Amino acid sequence: MPSRRLSIPVRVPWFWLLLLATAFQLFSFAPLLLDPERAELPLYAALLGYIPLEWLFLILVRALAHRRHVELEILGLWLSGIGLAVCGSVSADYALKQLAAIALGMGVYALLMGIMASPDLAMKLRTPAAVGAVGLLALNLLLAKVINGTLNWITVGPISIQPSELVKLAFIFVGAATLEKLQTAPSVTRYLLFAMGCVGALFLMRDFGAALIFFATYIILAFLRSGDLKSIALVSAAAVMGAGLVIYFRPYVANRFSVYRHVWEHIHDTGYQQTRVLMYSSSGGLLGLGLGQGKLRGVFAASTDLVFGMLCEEWGILLAVLVLVSYLGMAAYVLHFARQARSAFYAIASVSAAGLILFQAALNVFGITDLLPLTGVTLPFVSRGGTSILCAWGLLAFLSSVTLGERKEASLAQE
Amino acid sequence: MHSISKRVWALLALILAFAAGSVVMLTGFAMNGERWASNRANSHIFSGGSVAIAGGIYDRSGMPLAVSKDGKRVMAESAIMRKATLHAVGDPEGFISAGAQSAFRDILAGYDPFNGIYELTKYGKGSDVVLTIDANLCKTAYEALDGRKGTVGVYNYKTGEILCMVSSPTYDPLHKPKDMDGQDKYEAVYLNRFLQGVFTPGSTFKTVTSACALQNIPDIQTRTFFCDRRYATGDGYVICRAKHGTLPFGEALSESCNAAFAAIADELGETNLRSMAAQLGFGKPFSVDGIPLAISTFPAGPLNNLELGWTGVGQHTTLANPCHMMVIMGAIANGGNGVNPRLIKELISPAGHTSRYGSPRPKTMLTLDPFLAASLQPMLCANVTDIYDPGLRKSGDLELCGKTGTAEVDGKTAHAWFAGFCQNPNYPYAIVVVGENAGGGFDVALPIAIRVLNAMK
Repeated sequence: MPSRRLSIPVRVPWFWLLLLATAFQLFSFAPLLLDPERAELPLYAALLGYIPLEWLFLILVRALAHRRHVELEILGLWLSGIGLAVCGSVSADYALKQLAAIALGMGVYALLMGIMASPDLAMKLRTPAAVGAVGLLALNLLLAKVINGTLNWITVGPISIQPSELVKLAFIFVGAATLEKLQTAPSVTRYLLFAMGCVGALFLMRDFGAALIFFATYIILAFLRSGDLKSIALVSAAAVMGAGLVIYFRPYVANRFSVYRHVWEHIHDTGYQQTRVLMYSSSGGLLGLGLGQGKLRGVFAASTDLVFGMLCEEWGILLAVLVLVSYLGMAAYVLHFARQARSAFYAIASVSAAGLILFQAALNVFGITDLLPLTGVTLPFVSRGGTSILCAWGLLAFLSSVTLGERKEASLAQE
Repeated sequence: MHSISKRVWALLALILAFAAGSVVMLTGFAMNGERWASNRANSHIFSGGSVAIAGGIYDRSGMPLAVSKDGKRVMAESAIMRKATLHAVGDPEGFISAGAQSAFRDILAGYDPFNGIYELTKYGKGSDVVLTIDANLCKTAYEALDGRKGTVGVYNYKTGEILCMVSSPTYDPLHKPKDMDGQDKYEAVYLNRFLQGVFTPGSTFKTVTSACALQNIPDIQTRTFFCDRRYATGDGYVICRAKHGTLPFGEALSESCNAAFAAIADELGETNLRSMAAQLGFGKPFSVDGIPLAISTFPAGPLNNLELGWTGVGQHTTLANPCHMMVIMGAIANGGNGVNPRLIKELISPAGHTSRYGSPRPKTMLTLDPFLAASLQPMLCANVTDIYDPGLRKSGDLELCGKTGTAEVDGKTAHAWFAGFCQNPNYPYAIVVVGENAGGGFDVALPIAIRVLNAMK
């Protein structure tokens, strides 16, 4: 039986962990900062600005929210720092935007943390969140048709946002917060309708990757709430049949996945990205060719969808494995604490967020390396992209809620 | 709440699945990384599908045959040298799959699982490959072929080093002719005929039939055969080129008497002949430093008597790969040990370290009973001393032994073959010459072999 203690076996003080992360960041930024050809103020500002930002963030989280456990936050900061360096190696502009997104993401984290600490407020907000999420997706569907661009983007002036990323947060929030009434049939039905609405809208947008992530998260949430494997199996079977029907009536959907496990036969067309990821990742070896020295960066979506391949090629497979291990570490951390979480709300929010992050990371990493079909989702915390970063940091708040309410924090949160 | 704390274990299933997926992915990198990294689309190494930045390729004396300079591939200086070594070196675009630039591109790219292609990006090149071939000898052989289609291959039957490997038709990779497709003179130009070609072996196959006879007919050395220009099998006649009358076994080989060998095949039977062919490597996949050889084939059975008779003299549907035939000759010369040919003499890392490639000791490709090797040797040498030399194909002090072949092919001029070896311990060489639709073995192939071997003194 698992032990009942609320601590990880070996505790390293947060200060040293963050110092280690900072040292790693300075080491990884160095080739960019010392390269005379890249010497420009915005790049220095973006990269060096991150270090005070992360220290300030963690000090504030500890001081204002009285958080004792900040290991998850440090992992998030470490991953975001890698993503920032990748952006900086492409352009200073990307790095500045990414830095701004991380800062905003920290804000989203703080906001969600605040709401989570007050379960009563959370319960009041769940209906507006659900309505807002569905509204956002509906708006997306309407606007995207007008814009006639990629369907899952909304562009307002210079800013493009991907609503599905924000809806992920609402999805978990609503799913976890309805728990207290989990036994009542209307509540379950309402959530099912909400989930179907989200997945359906994403399907219409042809964002199959996001639709899959939502579906997987729904399964996790539904299991946590009901523990009813029979009805989950039923829902899954219905979903598989639905997907089968879609593929039958819309052959282009199947075509999109036909290259799966045949990428080398389509090296110049539909398998272009995956084959480039494989050949350049192997080119990097264990230690990588060095930041900025890769060739994958020339391929479409390199710093977003294919960023894991860039890590393999330029930072080395060892570092890339470390990134995978840190997702596993986040999930294992959540699993460790979830069994003693102060409320079911926190347990469900953290476990489903951890599941979502793992599932999305798997779709990304194994999709671009052709172990799974390519769906074009981002790598949490690392991929370039504003809304993706906002979502990752919001999910981090759900993950962290697993230790909310322990001892002192509990009393503080309820004041 | 209690039930929830149990259900969170579901997350463990995801964690394990993620970890398993990562292991599968990393295993894929470990197993296929070399192949993936050296893909032609990798722009670290290739530019527009051509090798741009990679290690150099040199002949055994250090003559550069293809090296990278300023992001371009520079080839040997003279056009004739480029043509003579084209199939050994390979073309930059990779049409010639058995050439070093394609076959050894992982080495040339400097890939290793630990560093990937870091050395390539650091030093601007991968490892250099020093081939076993002598470029000047290739040039001599190419000149000796004199525009004929075919191949010449020579190797050291003790060490396995291929010293000469020429395939024709060829072209100058620096001035690649346009629209070679469909032109007869460029028929199968990308094929390395020595490694990847198969031809009807004709009378050179009588060596195999002889080996089988020596093993299965105890008194074969004292037997005589009668030739009246043909041999009657139950299903028809095997035709001979002359009326040899009565002749003993050894003379039957020297005179290359079809009637005698059809009679021998008849007596041996299909099973014995097939078994000897298999023992000598017919139907087996071989490779030279990772480059697969075309597989020599013995006709599919069951054979009727006429087919068996023709098979015994290397006709019917028998096909032989020139490199394979050369190794059979090497095995006879080398006491039965047919050493596997090799094409890479050594590798030089970008940092300048020299290393061997593959096993340090010569590997065995096929073996022949030492008794058979010892019996066949004097017979093949007698071919030269009794017939070829008196016929003014003077081989001098090479102590040449071997067998010519004139392989009949439907509706076209015959293939001219010579496969043999030098007995002189100073020249431990086995050789094969094929002149594709070029005529008789004695008239065409043998003089080429003698010219090339003399150039090696």
